[in-house]
Amino acid sequence: MNSSPLVLQAFRQADSLISLSLADWDLLLRQSRSANLLARLYVLLDERGLLEKMPPQAREHLEWSHATAERHTQAVHWEVGQIQKALVKSGVPIILLKGAAYVMANLPSARGRLFTDIDIMVPKESLNAAEAALMLHGWAATHHDAYDQRYYRTWMHELPPMRHVRRSTVIDVHHAILPETASIHPDPEKLRAAACALEGHEGLKVLAPADMVLHSAAHLFHDGELENGLRDLVDIDSLLRHFGSIPSFWSELVERAVDLELTRPLFYALRYAANILHTPIPSDAMEAAKIGCPSQPTRALMDSLFTRALMPVHPSCSDAFTSGARWLLYVRANWLRMPPLLLARHLFHKAFISSKTD
Amino acid sequence: MNVSALTHSELGFRLGKAGIFIQTGSFITHLQTSIPGVAEGIGLLYADYPLLEQADFADFHVSLAPPRNLRRWFKPQVLFFFDGHPPFKPLPLDQAFPMFEWGLNWCVSSQANRYLIIHAAVVEKGGHAAILPAPPGSGKSTLCAALVNRGWRLLSDELALVRVSDGKIVPLPRPVSLKNESIDIIQQYEPDAVLSRKVSDTMKGTVAHMKVPAESIARAAETCRAAWVIFPKYQAGAAARLEALPQARAFMRVADNAFNYSLLGVKGFEAMAGLIDASLCYDFTYSVLDEAIETFAVLKPPAI
Amino acid sequence: MWQAISGDALHIRFWNDEFVVYNSLSGDTHLLGASAAHILLKLQHTASDVATLAASLASLMQAEMDDEFLSQTEQLLAGLGKLALIEHS
Repeated sequence: MNSSPLVLQAFRQADSLISLSLADWDLLLRQSRSANLLARLYVLLDERGLLEKMPPQAREHLEWSHATAERHTQAVHWEVGQIQKALVKSGVPIILLKGAAYVMANLPSARGRLFTDIDIMVPKESLNAAEAALMLHGWAATHHDAYDQRYYRTWMHELPPMRHVRRSTVIDVHHAILPETASIHPDPEKLRAAACALEGHEGLKVLAPADMVLHSAAHLFHDGELENGLRDLVDIDSLLRHFGSIPSFWSELVERAVDLELTRPLFYALRYAANILHTPIPSDAMEAAKIGCPSQPTRALMDSLFTRALMPVHPSCSDAFTSGARWLLYVRANWLRMPPLLLARHLFHKAFISSKTD
Repeated sequence: MNVSALTHSELGFRLGKAGIFIQTGSFITHLQTSIPGVAEGIGLLYADYPLLEQADFADFHVSLAPPRNLRRWFKPQVLFFFDGHPPFKPLPLDQAFPMFEWGLNWCVSSQANRYLIIHAAVVEKGGHAAILPAPPGSGKSTLCAALVNRGWRLLSDELALVRVSDGKIVPLPRPVSLKNESIDIIQQYEPDAVLSRKVSDTMKGTVAHMKVPAESIARAAETCRAAWVIFPKYQAGAAARLEALPQARAFMRVADNAFNYSLLGVKGFEAMAGLIDASLCYDFTYSVLDEAIETFAVLKPPAI
Repeated sequence: MWQAISGDALHIRFWNDEFVVYNSLSGDTHLLGASAAHILLKLQHTASDVATLAASLASLMQAEMDDEFLSQTEQLLAGLGKLALIEHS
């Protein structure tokens, strides 16, 4: 396997891109595009005032993706405003998650980040009220199949995605950050208690800094959607760099991980962010996070799986074992989300029925 | 050096191995494929396009290949790959060359956000360009093919690229796609026109592509400004008729026909406003090609 | 009382009597006739109520300010509100 694909080099040390050949740029752009990180690469260079120094052919593609990212941010602001309007009367407290949270909180991780759905979290007992309020304002249910409905509502931790009839935007309403059926249960009440209000946006909150990192880690290392694996790791890297300057952050991070049963995902998050992206992490934080470390054989296996699966889906970033690694981690993720019997039923049903609607 | 410098077998060989790098307007396309139908189409219709020997960089890396499934041998199919990912479902192998054309259009229209990209043909004469937006059934391509054979330069058949920074139209001359009756009509209208073979049963009906006159390709770096926005409508038996279209309405209709108007945000709005501001806008009905050519021949550019 | 949304957000161009308006908050573009545009431009200037706007419109169109006219103005305002170009102040 390529010891370090260009895209990693870029994110570890953007300054080194000055000496990149045109052929290397061709490859870097392709790797970044596969990883959904092209717009982020633009941001990286723009923040360092390096854009003008890049070859014009490469800059062209970066500018193209920047146009998309700018429009995306504008759309998120508007969409969150519409969601706020829809839910304000119902009194349901909303916590924005992931991309939408980064954008509204103006975090560095928001820049150049593209995503499709808006994710929010509400109390479990408010799910019906939230759904009703959204429907009143033009969102409609998707996934009408009774099985899918049950999958989302009962077994996972969310309403089936809702799509706005006019704008075609999608909202995912969660009541927890991990599924009911998973073996660990980070308490949503604790997350809510620590959530931070957003200045200038009444009624909207985002997770506290440590919780934001832990949610991102849980999503990546437990929930298992690895298509955007590197992008999500870049998120984690960005959040850690941003919050890392707060003195109490690192100790709070580990304490919170213990409290929320998320020590394993935190361990992986710090380990792979440091190994793959060279995120600066204080050594005592790394030490403390080792409480989440699995046994040696598991750790070695996970290393070999994740270091492959977190690469962009691109031939230049794979070796013979990469697709196998992805498959194993996909199975693992579903395993972590659902008990075996449910999983078998789910995968069977998915394979049998879902392809009709693809 | 142009594609025509390669013999048929050299072209097929290169395409099947590392592929070739061609200059298509302001984009470099790297194409790799072992499918003979595509090689034929390239050899015939891309003969006059610059072939880049030492290419370190391509804007689009595309390939066409059969999918790896059981259909390889029974009713064979073809997939279009963009940098190794297939964005579309497979099509019958017979449609491989049209699929290349459609795929390359997709590459440009879904990404090239330096431009306001309108689904339209663009032709130019005397330094003034006419943009012909094209809802399906408008007869845009037939009209475009005819104009191009009567002295108008082809800037594009499908994608009008309006540069956001200065409003200039940047050429993307590529083979003109013709459908159903248009194919025979154009062949009769211009017997010397070079057409690919007909491919039937596509989602657009029977399609063929017309080779772009060499001069249009040679002048692919020459930008210009729009003077007219003309919505063509073929109507059997109708006399050629130009009807002035209020500019605000033209604005909305062109926006409806643009791929990335909304994506470009306020810059898209301003680029569109600039385009409309500088143009005379019309609805154009016609049935006889010669009459259409006549009408276009006497078009007056807007007063400065 | 109505007012237009933040001035920075609205981009307006016109040809003859027809206006195209881009709302940079919603990302939407709208085609407005002269009456709607007149109201929008007035509201960009100052917040106003239905009666004032109707009167202004009536004078522009040299029409009579009756109940029917008032009701039509209200509808126009509701329409612009729905497009998120104006809001209650």
